[in-house]
Amino acid sequence: MPIETTDIEHLAQILERSGVDAIEIEEPGRSLKLVMDTAARMAASPTLAAAASPAGDHSVIVKADVAGYFLAAHPWRDKPFVAPGQPIEAGAIVGLVKIGLLYAPVVAPAAGTVDTVIAETGATVGYGTPIARIRPLVGSSPIN
Amino acid sequence: MIEILTVVGPTSVQDLGRFDQYRFGVGTSGAMDDVALRAGNILLGNDENAAGIEIPMMPFRLRFGRDMAFALTGASVEAKIAGRAIPPWWRSHARAGDILSLKAMPRGARCYLTVGGAIDVPMVLGSRSTQFRGEFGGLHGRPLQPGDILPCTSPTSIIGELGVEPADITLARPKASEDETIVRVVIAGEYEAFDGATQELFWSSSWKITPQSNRYGYRLQGPAVKPISPIEKRSHGIVPGVIQIPPNGQPIIQMRDAQTSGGYPKIATVIRADLWRAGQTPLGGKLRFEQTAYTEAIAAEAEVSAYLDRLRANVRLVEEIRTCR
Repeated sequence: MPIETTDIEHLAQILERSGVDAIEIEEPGRSLKLVMDTAARMAASPTLAAAASPAGDHSVIVKADVAGYFLAAHPWRDKPFVAPGQPIEAGAIVGLVKIGLLYAPVVAPAAGTVDTVIAETGATVGYGTPIARIRPLVGSSPIN
Repeated sequence: MIEILTVVGPTSVQDLGRFDQYRFGVGTSGAMDDVALRAGNILLGNDENAAGIEIPMMPFRLRFGRDMAFALTGASVEAKIAGRAIPPWWRSHARAGDILSLKAMPRGARCYLTVGGAIDVPMVLGSRSTQFRGEFGGLHGRPLQPGDILPCTSPTSIIGELGVEPADITLARPKASEDETIVRVVIAGEYEAFDGATQELFWSSSWKITPQSNRYGYRLQGPAVKPISPIEKRSHGIVPGVIQIPPNGQPIIQMRDAQTSGGYPKIATVIRADLWRAGQTPLGGKLRFEQTAYTEAIAAEAEVSAYLDRLRANVRLVEEIRTCR
């Protein structure tokens, strides 16, 4: 039985959550070695993850920190949490990740203006999945 | 502690209720939406019977006297903590001096505020619930007023923001229409005293909740439902959920502050697993009754329990994951 990509993702999430750096699985005829990029983890806070995007622009990517289904709006609300062009405070909710009965917030790591909401409602997201892009205020820095 | 700044309507301290005094004529009181109160307490890691505040009308504002975690469940409200919007069925953290402000209630009829710990009013006859009729329990046995100070037992540990799926979504039932709530009922003692056509009228009608409705009972408006011949019974024991038919043929649903006895004929009883749905239907809203059997009523309770069990397990899992990191 081949190892599915989804299995590897799942294993990676378990490693991420448990703080384990690497795992090696060997069975006759195949082996799998997963090594976590701990530098990235050290940079990420427990509740939010942000990274300056490449290409030299100063926008900040808001990332999911748990696996589940993305919700741009609360199911009881018509309006999404954020829309492109609106100002946003650091720590404000950008969307929710639904895991079982839980709604985990995805929060803005920095104040600024919402550039785009990348993830779509109902999309499966995992640790590090880009959710939105924020143009930070000049002179402000991500809170992590 | 918590200081009440703005309050309109009968806002009160409620836990799950007072259950050991019924035989002495003391009603249960307790949260009109017990599922929401439990969910708030589960979110905060509290005892599920911990007292919270039941808020039936907007606007409402309060100030937190010290850092504490809190949760909002029940009706959907436009809520802000220190100016920051928070979604429905949500737990958050307030700093000393922060103001929680609730504005509009676009959905539901009662919002519950729970705190990490509990609203620490004295226990009276085994419960912290306010008993309006007897004027005891809660804070001095009365609705909350601006300026009231509510003592809280609350741990200062910080917990992260988190929401849960509202019971209304997980336990959704088919709807006849958007503005009608269907509640399941079992027939009661005097059902057979109504002829077939009247019974049919009871099932097929949409019942409007009149402004003369509150925690004591809901007075409904619709076609007159009258027994074959007038019934006069001696007062006998009744429970929250009982639907009585007074002489004018307009049903009354006894709610959480109901008297423990009454003499009107009883046509049906809202099952316990759906009483919270009635509790969340606002004044002017409509109810429709769906006949169910005792075994189904028990199964419906198991569904509510299963939802709460999942909430508990899910919330616990999040705490474990956070601890691992």
